[in-house]
Amino acid sequence: MNLYEGMFLLDNNVVREDWTKAKEVATGILEKHGASVTIARRWAERSLAYTIKKVNRGTYMLAYFDADPGSITIIRRDLELNESIMRYLVLKCDAVPEGEQELHDAELSTDFSVPEPPEDHVVDSTGEEDNESNDLDIDVGFDSGLDASPARPKAAAPKAEEKAEDKKEEAPAAEVTESKEETKEAPAAEAAESKEETTEAAASEEA
Amino acid sequence: MKRPIKKSTKGCDDPRLDYKDLETLAKYLNPQGEIHARRKTGYCAKCQRQLKQAIKRARHMGLLAFVGQ
Repeated sequence: MNLYEGMFLLDNNVVREDWTKAKEVATGILEKHGASVTIARRWAERSLAYTIKKVNRGTYMLAYFDADPGSITIIRRDLELNESIMRYLVLKCDAVPEGEQELHDAELSTDFSVPEPPEDHVVDSTGEEDNESNDLDIDVGFDSGLDASPARPKAAAPKAEEKAEDKKEEAPAAEVTESKEETKEAPAAEAAESKEETTEAAASEEA
Repeated sequence: MKRPIKKSTKGCDDPRLDYKDLETLAKYLNPQGEIHARRKTGYCAKCQRQLKQAIKRARHMGLLAFVGQ
């Protein structure tokens, strides 16, 4: 028997119905093939880095289980066939990490309640997605600290100055156009006022 | 004249890279989502392999993107 770590990406539609049932989808497969699950807990509910099976969000479940090495192939096949499990990852590990047992126990307590997974956000026609906050609150942006070499800001600084100068040059032109618009609007407004006056005068004469 | 490539001075004493530690892994990806080279990460061959493996696992699980935005 070996200790394995399993990460399962579960469909939010199944999780929304009942978390324990969703959890049993994965743990049931493991136990069916003689594995003993020691830890099975909700890891996170987050937006996916890319669309999987036309879905942009999913719930991750983390499990630690003892299993016979020969049964892993059959477990993998069963996980592959299950439609509620979108992705899975089974790795051999030496020991259960610290703190996992406490998190597992916390989930079993009566106070624990799984928050309702948010609706799958729709991808706009422009390709921009709603950046909803996830449980981990980890910024997985690719702008790393290593990229920010000291040479870059220096190189960028002159460009910024140039841009500022360009803007200054552009600014008077913009003002001119604005003033033109004002001048255009002003006579029109005056004309409208004068028209109103004439109509009022005509009305008073008629009366 | 060919300019010598600057090697990173950062060491790699047992980084313990895990595919779940997204904050750390994201540091070793460029804006296109490519893994940094050894000369940039400063890792030894063994640690670089661990980094590669962890990033590829995270990508498979939909935690990290294959290509940048």
